[in-house]
Amino acid sequence: MKNFIANLDYFFKEAKRIIFLNKLSNIFTFLGAVLILLILATVVTGWSISSRLVRMLEEEAEISAFFHEDMDENEVFALAEDLDKLDGVWNVRVVDESEAYERMEEILANDAGILELFDDNPFKAYIEIRIDPGQIDSIVETVKDYKDIDYVRDNRGVLESINDIIKGIKTVGTLIILAVSITTIIIISHMIRQGIYNNREQIKTLGFLGASRMFIGFPFICVGLLITVIAGVLASLVMMLIIHNGYLAMGGSIPFIPLPPKGNLVTGVTLVIMGVSIILGMAGSLFGLSSIKEH
Amino acid sequence: MIEAKEVSLRYRDGTLALNNINLTIGEGEIVYITGPSGSGKTSLLKLILGMELPTSGTVKVMGKQISGEKTEELRSLRKKIGPVFQELKLVPGRSAMENVMMGIRFLDFSRQEIKKNAADALEKVGLSHKAHSMVENLSWGEAQRVSIARAIARNPGLILADEPTGNLDHDNAINILNILTSFRQKNTSVVVATHATHLIENQKNITIIRMNQGNISIEKRGDEA
Repeated sequence: MKNFIANLDYFFKEAKRIIFLNKLSNIFTFLGAVLILLILATVVTGWSISSRLVRMLEEEAEISAFFHEDMDENEVFALAEDLDKLDGVWNVRVVDESEAYERMEEILANDAGILELFDDNPFKAYIEIRIDPGQIDSIVETVKDYKDIDYVRDNRGVLESINDIIKGIKTVGTLIILAVSITTIIIISHMIRQGIYNNREQIKTLGFLGASRMFIGFPFICVGLLITVIAGVLASLVMMLIIHNGYLAMGGSIPFIPLPPKGNLVTGVTLVIMGVSIILGMAGSLFGLSSIKEH
Repeated sequence: MIEAKEVSLRYRDGTLALNNINLTIGEGEIVYITGPSGSGKTSLLKLILGMELPTSGTVKVMGKQISGEKTEELRSLRKKIGPVFQELKLVPGRSAMENVMMGIRFLDFSRQEIKKNAADALEKVGLSHKAHSMVENLSWGEAQRVSIARAIARNPGLILADEPTGNLDHDNAINILNILTSFRQKNTSVVVATHATHLIENQKNITIIRMNQGNISIEKRGDEA
């Protein structure tokens, strides 16, 4: 460790030399890394916004369970408590006839007058069950099997659409992040291999003198880290600008999209990009370094 | 210090560089390997440094057997050796001082010791005034002395020098050999491969290994030269 610290200035000088030895190629590598990390930042931002949207949609996922009309209030509440304990059920609420009527009035709004044509309240009490949309099939089947339940209205089409959206966003996001990560690692490792090739005689000599792989390789790790971290900073700054302008534009024109607080989004995206930059720089460098042969 | 038993080295192209040699070199011993070009001098030095592995037989250096599998052991052994390569192996784009420092940075020296050892070594080989010159701007003879400085700055237990006086004038060559042999006082063994037999004619207390087509004959020369 003492030796390592004593040589820190040497490692950074060597890293600088490796970068300048193949300046043009490294500039393009750097620009490539900025663009890739910018794509990643865009995906992370999109994911963050859509996750919030999805969470809101998930919270709206519900089924309605209609029970026998001859059940008294205590029995209904006992049934609701039972349903609340089911796996995948987030929350249960009993909606009585008058609340059902009021809800319909709200839905019909200006046309609510049509309800006055009925002599009595035509709506039945039911149990509103908020659920995990991913478990709709099993929950509906279980609820249907209760002897006190007459039938279940499940909005399956809507819930399945929500589920598909969630799965789609997760899959596309994961694929893009995977592609970006692999591409970055390949670009950085190729750059490191190029550096190793350009310095092969020096590496051989150091090996014959007894230098460890760590000593020989650390300047190359510094190069990989330096390029991805600076690229990460640049990509984060550009993304901040995009988010700022995006909020100004979207906040006014598409008010129904629930955007997360700007500060939180910027901090989150910056942290993710910087973390990923460090990890990818490190991984790319180590992958490139694996091409140094022991002898 | 060095023990070779029935060692042969055959290169991939079939060339037999060393033919069943037996050799023992003790601590503080000064050994000159002489012989015509292609006789196996460099191959023997490469074998001792672990740059080549024996085709048959065993080579032990400082108690450690040279082997392809024991990479870490080989590395720690190389740290104790000060090699002077025939082709110098200096790193271009760096000064003489940086080259010498680069060769000792990974040894157990503090930052101050690294600088001091490098400066002292360059002074010993008479190159203090060129310490900050880029190695590509030095003459071959000067570059050769930088390579020697890199070897001696390591305070090695064994110095392996391949033609260290090859491009030096007579006075500088004598000076370099004197520097190398002075390590005997530190109990450092010195193995020098050289064509310049005239430079060792008057040296005492040395071992001369004469090589010819991979075979060796050993002459021990005592106080009476």
